[in-house]
Amino acid sequence: MFGTIFKPLFRNKKFIVAFSVFILIVLMGILGPILYPKDPTSFAGKMESPPSKEFPLGTDTYGGDLLAKLLNGIRTSLYIGFLTAVISMVIGLLIGSISAVKGGVVDDILMSFTNIVLTIPNILLAILVATYLKVRSAEVVAILLGVLGWPWFARAIRAQLLSLINREYVYLSRLAGYTDLQLAFEDLIPGIATYALMAFILFINGGILGEAGLSLIGLGPTKGVSLGIILQWAVLMEAVRRGLWWWFIPPGLIIVALTSSLLIVTTTMDEIFNPRLRER
Amino acid sequence: MGETILELRDTKAYYIIEKNFVRAVDGVSLEIKDEIIGIVGESGSGKSTLSNVMLMSIKRPLTFMGGSVKLYTNGNELELTNINREELQKKIWGRETSIIPQSAMNALMPTKRIRSYILDVMKSHFEEIDEKEIIEKAINRFEEIGISGEFINRYPFELSGGMKQRAVIAVATLLNPRLLIADEPTSALDVATQKMVLKTIKELKDKKIVKSIVFITHDIATVRQIADKMVVMYAGKIIEEGTTDEMVSEPLHPYTKGLLFSVVTPEPEVKRRGITYIPGTPPDLINPPPGCRFHPRCPERMEICDKEEPLLKNINQRRVACFLYEKR
Amino acid sequence: MRDHTLNPFIKYLGRRFFFLLLTYFIALTIVFILPRAIPGNPLASILSRIFQTGQANPELLRSVERTLMEEFGLGKPWFVQYVEFITKALRGDLGTSISSYPKKTLELIIPVIPWTLILLIPSILIAWIIGNTLGAFAGYRRGSLVDRIALNTSLIIGQIPYYWLGMLLIFFLSVKLKIFPGQGGYTQGTIPNLSFSFLLDVLSHYILPSLSIIISALGGWAIGTRMLVVNELDSDYVSFSEHLGVKSKTIFGYVFRNSLLPQVTGLALSLGGALGGALITEIIFNYPGTGYLLFRALSTLDYPLIQGIFVILIASIYLANFFVDFIYAIIDPRIRLGQGES
Ligand SMILES: Nc1ncnc2c1ncn2[C@@H]1O[C@H](COP(=O)(O)OP(=O)(O)OP(=O)(O)O)[C@@H](O)[C@H]1O
Ligand code: SF4
Ligand SMILES: [Mg+2]
Repeated sequence: MFGTIFKPLFRNKKFIVAFSVFILIVLMGILGPILYPKDPTSFAGKMESPPSKEFPLGTDTYGGDLLAKLLNGIRTSLYIGFLTAVISMVIGLLIGSISAVKGGVVDDILMSFTNIVLTIPNILLAILVATYLKVRSAEVVAILLGVLGWPWFARAIRAQLLSLINREYVYLSRLAGYTDLQLAFEDLIPGIATYALMAFILFINGGILGEAGLSLIGLGPTKGVSLGIILQWAVLMEAVRRGLWWWFIPPGLIIVALTSSLLIVTTTMDEIFNPRLRER
Repeated sequence: MGETILELRDTKAYYIIEKNFVRAVDGVSLEIKDEIIGIVGESGSGKSTLSNVMLMSIKRPLTFMGGSVKLYTNGNELELTNINREELQKKIWGRETSIIPQSAMNALMPTKRIRSYILDVMKSHFEEIDEKEIIEKAINRFEEIGISGEFINRYPFELSGGMKQRAVIAVATLLNPRLLIADEPTSALDVATQKMVLKTIKELKDKKIVKSIVFITHDIATVRQIADKMVVMYAGKIIEEGTTDEMVSEPLHPYTKGLLFSVVTPEPEVKRRGITYIPGTPPDLINPPPGCRFHPRCPERMEICDKEEPLLKNINQRRVACFLYEKR
Repeated sequence: MRDHTLNPFIKYLGRRFFFLLLTYFIALTIVFILPRAIPGNPLASILSRIFQTGQANPELLRSVERTLMEEFGLGKPWFVQYVEFITKALRGDLGTSISSYPKKTLELIIPVIPWTLILLIPSILIAWIIGNTLGAFAGYRRGSLVDRIALNTSLIIGQIPYYWLGMLLIFFLSVKLKIFPGQGGYTQGTIPNLSFSFLLDVLSHYILPSLSIIISALGGWAIGTRMLVVNELDSDYVSFSEHLGVKSKTIFGYVFRNSLLPQVTGLALSLGGALGGALITEIIFNYPGTGYLLFRALSTLDYPLIQGIFVILIASIYLANFFVDFIYAIIDPRIRLGQGES
């Protein structure tokens, strides 16, 4: 089944390119720190030196090796993105599907709640919460972003499910005495699986961008290196105005490459799985 | 019956999806005269596609594969297949031909008052317009069709289903087109409203607002009420054609017989669903059955039926495509 | 037509107003709960942080402590604290700043608000207009080369985070090419006034931060509108209009208009994110707006100031939201005349 679903994707050039870029960056994050085992936080030698043989991406004000930082940063950022996505996904799926399957008052309450969270500006809220947390691990940042990101997904899932529920086969399963839960898992989840996969990817993007934003304000993870933390220090040390391009360009490029490759992956998936948009 | 209004000759139009051809209209020839002609067929038989061919409104993935579509306007003969879409839109559509689309409920621009939409239609056809005169005429047309002229000042969503349907009819016939195609104009309505709308459409012809009407439906009972002539489509082809009276009193093609049987049957369920009474499912138009496309479901199938294709042959005043009527 | 006793327009706005007010209360409540949810004495924790940051003037500290004690209402039952907090917030009394003691936080916030508004509002409107227009044309010519180029560049540009785009703009246009100044809201040392030369100076400082917001927001709007237009082109009124011979230009007008309607609501929803983005952009550009003040408050752990900024920012977002809802209700007849929103 998997094969027949994903085969058309790998015939699409755009998808192949975007997917390769994504995999390349993931590999940099996973294998990079192993293949280039320098400590990203220790003083490596020269301060603020431009890229050289010794330091392929140069060093920062504290003599930190920026390539080592970048590789570790990719790892942390991907981890945060992924974790954020899992959290948003679980909450969104739960709320959206309970809402759709239960209907009635439950639906009303859950949707009002969803709309309220949607309307509270979540970047601001994340900033506010982060302010009060003395220690922020990567996980804490991910939880923060994940807990605020789900509402649009819950709404979309609910809408999708409602349209599925009206179809005949779900009606038949109800007649056959399926419980709500069985119904959700056996009939409905498969119906929204590709959709959820695309949302998952968008959540990863949200997590990566959100982390970088929080870090720039000074509210990123308090330990370790992430892409956002590298940018934060670049800003604090005025790297931009002093022309230390090797400090702030690579992490930004990685963020853009990562998020846009993921986005292209989802849009091509959308084109292929959503025939209405095909050939347009 | 007098002059010919539209003439299709061996028209083919396929939907091209990836590398597959959906043969939705496959060699249809038809002459439309000064009359109401009913086109009947089950869902997916190519009725709506045929209506697009009549207008030569061909949009991807639909592709015109060949044939001729001739429109006769006061003394002129226009080969529509030679005219590009832009020209058609400018000179033919709305003026010579018009359509009440299958989904008439959403056919009106939703965020504009009907009045202002009507003015847009007119401005598209004439350089200079007298707004007052046009609105007056439109109000008249609304009242002719049996809805209050005051509705012209409303938004579409302020009208009920039946009202909306008739507003669409009024707007579609503003320029007194010669040919009006009505694609299942009554399917979305309740029975009482259906009757009224049907009457409205019939009156368009009686009042000489339009010359001929092509009335598309999957409900043979409706056709009986309104059409002079009846055309039965199956799987992208015409399989029988004749005057309504003759077709009803003596259907020739086994498929037509099935259709009619489903109407006379007392079972309400069969009646309601009309055509689905005939056992089996409509064929896949990508790989239609060889020979007679109806043969897998035909109760009178013969040896030859899955080998050769029956042609649409004249029998007296009728046409039928079935080997039962071919002397071999 | 159904005749309600209440005008649907008023009803819609009333509902929106109530909803936003409720949400605002919830936001205020979160602002109230957060510092108190920290385990241990929140005041002590704040003070110990102040000690850590090294502002250890004992006399000043004692006076700060008194003020904080009073303002946080510590020692009183929590619901009294809550009611006091809400009433004070609604009266605009947002407490006393720690880092700029004894200034009221409102005194610090009010002067920076216009800078943020001037940066944010024109930029997001320009992005909205250009993005939607581009998207509409791409959607209308869907599948064409222009569409594909526009779509893919928008996709990627839309993914460039505003803050990084800001850095690039500073680096290339200010540091390398020296076309625009790369930091501040005006040349340092000048005193803000209304002279022509000062306004020109402000404008030259304005361009880069504004550009970074415009460019990064534009792509998203373009993609969204393109999608809406493509869907809209499939709708029944488009083919009906074509078959009535309505001019293509007129039909495009319909499609554009109907696609823009949801984007107006989208604008309201995006305000929060846009404001967050603007705050970070201000930090990157050392632009003297709310974001910069927030950054300073964060680095000095001036909690009352941080809280105050949030109370004001969230309120302004909701006000703006309501304003957009209002506009939307005016331009969409379905809401104005009462055919429920989706
Ligand atoms: N846009 C399209 N793309 C691909 N195939 C299409 C498209 N529109 C119609 N078809 C196919 O062409 C065939 C004929 O469709 P058409 O709409 O003409 O049938 P119809 O007789 O009008 O049916 P109905 O009664 O449901 O309106 C069907 O098999 C249908 O699946
Ligand atoms: S040609 Fe043969 S299969 Fe087709 S309708 Fe006639 S008898 Fe039936
Ligand atoms: Mg049809």
